[in-house]
Amino acid sequence: MAEVVLNEVVKTYGDIYAVNHVSLTVADGEFVALVGPSGCGKTTTLSLIAGLNEISGGEIHIGGRLVNDLDPKDRDIAMVFQNYALYPNKTVFKNLAFPLQMRKLAKAEIERKVLSAAKVLDITHLLERKPRELSGGQQQRVALGRALVRDPRVFLMDEPLSNLDAKLRVQMRTELKRFHQDLEATVVYVTHDQLEAVTMADKMAVMHGGFLQQYDSPKNVFDNPVNMFVASFVGSPAMSLVPLEAVSHGSDVALRSPEGWELPLSPQNARKALGATSNQVVLGARHSTVKLHSAQTPGAVPGVVYTVEPTGDITFVQVFLGTSVVIVSLDPSVTVHPDQKVWIEFDQDKIHLFDGATELALAAV
Amino acid sequence: MSTPIRNTAAMTATTTSPAPTRRRSKKPIGGWRWAGRGILAFLLLFTALPMVWMVITSLKTQLAALQYPPQWWPNEVTFENYVQLLSPNNAVGHEFLQYFWNSFYVSILSTILGVVIAVPAAYAFSRFRFPGRQALFFSVLLRNMFPAVVFLMPLFLMMKWLGLVNTHGSLILTYLTFGLPLSIWLLKGFYDNIPIQLEQAARIDGATRFQAFFHIVMPLSSPGIIATAIYAFIMAWNEYVYALTFLNSKDKLTLPVGLQRFFSEYATNWPGLMAASFIMSVPVVVLFLVLQKYFVRALTEGAVKS
Repeated sequence: MAEVVLNEVVKTYGDIYAVNHVSLTVADGEFVALVGPSGCGKTTTLSLIAGLNEISGGEIHIGGRLVNDLDPKDRDIAMVFQNYALYPNKTVFKNLAFPLQMRKLAKAEIERKVLSAAKVLDITHLLERKPRELSGGQQQRVALGRALVRDPRVFLMDEPLSNLDAKLRVQMRTELKRFHQDLEATVVYVTHDQLEAVTMADKMAVMHGGFLQQYDSPKNVFDNPVNMFVASFVGSPAMSLVPLEAVSHGSDVALRSPEGWELPLSPQNARKALGATSNQVVLGARHSTVKLHSAQTPGAVPGVVYTVEPTGDITFVQVFLGTSVVIVSLDPSVTVHPDQKVWIEFDQDKIHLFDGATELALAAV
Repeated sequence: MSTPIRNTAAMTATTTSPAPTRRRSKKPIGGWRWAGRGILAFLLLFTALPMVWMVITSLKTQLAALQYPPQWWPNEVTFENYVQLLSPNNAVGHEFLQYFWNSFYVSILSTILGVVIAVPAAYAFSRFRFPGRQALFFSVLLRNMFPAVVFLMPLFLMMKWLGLVNTHGSLILTYLTFGLPLSIWLLKGFYDNIPIQLEQAARIDGATRFQAFFHIVMPLSSPGIIATAIYAFIMAWNEYVYALTFLNSKDKLTLPVGLQRFFSEYATNWPGLMAASFIMSVPVVVLFLVLQKYFVRALTEGAVKS
């Protein structure tokens, strides 16, 4: 296993930056998830690491070796593709044997390794089948088997679970995590599903528009998003963002809405709000930190219920505060009706404040 | 009788979805369907009858072939015509076998060369982005936008200039220019349908670009390669006008031209001509029967997402 270092990596297509000066280090044995919406550059970054795309600038090191100009075959990596990319004309056995044949291993050695990989993944009974005779989950295992059969230094995975149905996806997610723990493998994992990243990865790299937005442990990314994009991307449902205006009343600071209500800020939050480049401040709150009142309450601001979404153990309520939507999670026993007038109370210790102009998180001074 | 059998076949074919309990409609077969069947039957007769007549005539004696009203089935079935054509010892058979060999040689060579050129060309058009790719790709089709005769004289002059007139090389070159455009188009469609991830996976698994092509892509595109090969072979095998123009020595002629000259020389021996025609169609028919499943697959590949 090896460390992967990206240093100011750039990939351009004409004038378009698909990957814009991305630097990050994946430590040996670490599971890193590259997440972001479609077109954010995460898959391009992965294929740059794999060597399937030519790098436009910067450096990529795998295990201390500069690999910018190496062919994929010489980088000693394995990759699992979204559509698995199993060789349709070969049996499962031959699919697993192919990477070993290409490395000119002896026949007996190939057989030994294929059988042991098949045993690990519990696909021994499928070895004589063709890929099209397998279910999605089985194909997924074979793809994984082809990756691990030759002990690569790094595993690259490109949305490997997105073609599976919801139930199987959850199951394979735990298996993949277990697989990583058992092998102590270095894994770079691309996904658009932030939940996969949060549940599996040691660290997640959130990308947007070719830029790396934040690279940290899922907990830190969740608790301290560096900007509004990360805040709205990580977490399900997403963090609610309410654009407001900071106003001072002597030494007190409050956030005022276009509708006229004001939310007084705690001294710490007031200092944050004053650090903004303008008086435009965006209030961010996760659904679990917001309280809903059916009657007017001091410190709570008025809104109107838009929809009520029961999920069984939690009910999500979308509340319009003026033109912004705030999502609140409630116990299912609480009954709320659409168009009901409600009051929202924010937890001053758990709200996030963002600069309305730069979209960056406001830090305490 | 046929309805219940069809029903069970449909049921077994779609085991994955819970079979809807909708029964095949029992409404009487409409007039349109009968009209369609009538047209199909007519077309079948129209294409099959001449061939049947060719075979029947080839089994007759010269005298019987010229009788009127015709004998629908020869009173006296004879294989004399075939024996004569296929025995190298008599003059007729010697010439015929020579023509047959010439045709075979020209067709096989232009087929092999065609595949060897079309496969990498189609692959390049499908996978690589290079300046002028679009223009080049459409210029490949340019040749097919004009009737073949238009190129007869220019090509003849070029062959003369190259010193290739009255050689099989001139025909092979010409047939290549006819066959390649379609081969390249067909194969490019094939390569477009092979996910690029397969090659990427192979390259990560330790293959060079060429090995990825050779071990993974080539086997997957074999139906396309076989289809284009059949097409090129049949086209070369049947071609007449260019063979007539480019070749003049008797020992170089190909079958389509040879047949014609051959039999006008000996007064028209209809049973002999029909026997020769039948033998000429044998390679094509055999090729088709053996490889037809690939041919159909190639032409319908990608029509429906699997």
